[in-house]
Amino acid sequence: MGKDGHSRRDFIQTSVRASLFIAIGGLGALGASRATASHTVWQIDPFKCTQCGRCATECVMAESAVKCIHAYDICGYCDLCGGYLKPDANDRATGGENQLCPTAAISRNFIEEPYFEYVIDEALCIGCAKCVKGCTAFGNGSFHLQIRHDRCLDCNECAIARVCPSEAISRISIKKPYLIKGKFEVIPSVEPPKSSSKK
Amino acid sequence: MKNKGIGIFVVVIVVLIVVVVVIDALSNRTGKRGDNPYKLEIDQYYKVDPAMILYKEIRQIKLGDVKPLGLDYSNDRLYVLLNKSLKIVSPRGEELSNINLPDTARCIHVSGDLMYLGFTNYVGQFHIDGRQIKLWETLGEKAVITSIASKGDQVFVADAGNRSVLRYDTHGQLLGEFGGKRNIDDLHGFVIPSAYFDLDVYDDELWVVNPGMHALENYTDEGVLRGFWEKTSMKIEGFSGCCNPAQMTIAPDGTFITSEKGLVRIKAYKASGELIGIVSPPTNDSEETHAPEVAVDESGGVFALDFDRNMIRYFVKK
Ligand code: SF4
Ligand code: SF4
Ligand code: SF4
Repeated sequence: MGKDGHSRRDFIQTSVRASLFIAIGGLGALGASRATASHTVWQIDPFKCTQCGRCATECVMAESAVKCIHAYDICGYCDLCGGYLKPDANDRATGGENQLCPTAAISRNFIEEPYFEYVIDEALCIGCAKCVKGCTAFGNGSFHLQIRHDRCLDCNECAIARVCPSEAISRISIKKPYLIKGKFEVIPSVEPPKSSSKK
Repeated sequence: MKNKGIGIFVVVIVVLIVVVVVIDALSNRTGKRGDNPYKLEIDQYYKVDPAMILYKEIRQIKLGDVKPLGLDYSNDRLYVLLNKSLKIVSPRGEELSNINLPDTARCIHVSGDLMYLGFTNYVGQFHIDGRQIKLWETLGEKAVITSIASKGDQVFVADAGNRSVLRYDTHGQLLGEFGGKRNIDDLHGFVIPSAYFDLDVYDDELWVVNPGMHALENYTDEGVLRGFWEKTSMKIEGFSGCCNPAQMTIAPDGTFITSEKGLVRIKAYKASGELIGIVSPPTNDSEETHAPEVAVDESGGVFALDFDRNMIRYFVKK
């Protein structure tokens, strides 16, 4: 069972419907998150991100505050996962030579023939967006990047936002600090920071 | 002398600071960064042998600002679904009529004087002049209708949400349903990770795309598998990603025209699965990833509905 009582099988069933709405241009949850508020935090609009790799290299943190998030209700639980497997993978298997992720942060778990679940280990993820690119192009786009507020320093000027080629990073209300693609939000809200910048 | 030395030192330091600031500012400008060390390496798959491109694009029909949702061709008319409306245009691009619809349809099949529209979870039957004939019974909350085809007095409907093909008569009476299992012992039938599930009829035979298997499957009307071909590969011969070919249609001469998402490419195959050639090669000059919907005219010309650029592209054999 998922955190909100939805089983994996439910997710597999709902992914087709969710992917339809993604295909026709975004989900309501994203629009609803753009409330104005005096307290704001930096966040990535996953529909604007073009997976350039700078989230991994430009964050002021030694290990980027950006991590890959998985929207399970959008995922197709594909055997041939474009976010997990290298484009020229010899085999649909978990061998390191087949994996796209440079840090092996994604695990692949069998559910039922022919469906697989993909889980991100955030401790290993460096926010490079390679899997996001693969999943967006060849899958349903369930992998996406978010700035994790338990890691982010909330810099006055986000070093990644300065160089983001898609202008995908902006300040949003702290009341809804994440722009999650799927319906099933699993990331809790965070407390307002004591000061607006620590940098 | 000492003061002069300090002055020169200060000037050098100031110049150095200015140079560093300017270089930093320039290098921070978007688009001025070096290569992405984490780039997804798929460039090689965009390169195709030019000799394999057997079609040329001769026309583009712009559809304005509204996102198109579906396409069919019949009897010298193009039927384009827009949000809650249907635009009928000539193959040359002249707008012939605009019909308001009761709901948003995502797929259309035109057969003679009748149009069948897939409204997410129910079918609507209309006359080609726009008159509504009947809205068929809803297929429930999970249903996502992605394709419709017909032969004689039977209508086949692909429901991606429930991973099944439904067979109706032309009055909307459900005659049967099947989930695409190959044998009774098979663990699964149609594998449909996203809302791409196409079918077509050629020479009285029903062909269904099994996108998760990269397969084209030939069924009897009752859903008994007669034959199939499948090709998984990022290379030009095959289909890649979770759900391809995302779109498919069959030309009057039996050529299968397939359209893929991810590596957006349109190709022509024999019914045996042998690649004939390329209609539209993949390009990596844009962020387009949606598979164009494809329709064919009597001469085998291919209309491709480009969802990313709101236009119909027309390809003919070279
Ligand atoms: S810098 Fe912008 S485009 Fe690049 S990965 Fe980060 S959010 Fe996406
Ligand atoms: S590919 Fe990159 S973004 Fe995706 S899980 Fe691995 S480290 Fe994170
Ligand atoms: S605000 Fe600072 S810490 Fe947070 S993601 Fe941007 S650069 Fe990294």
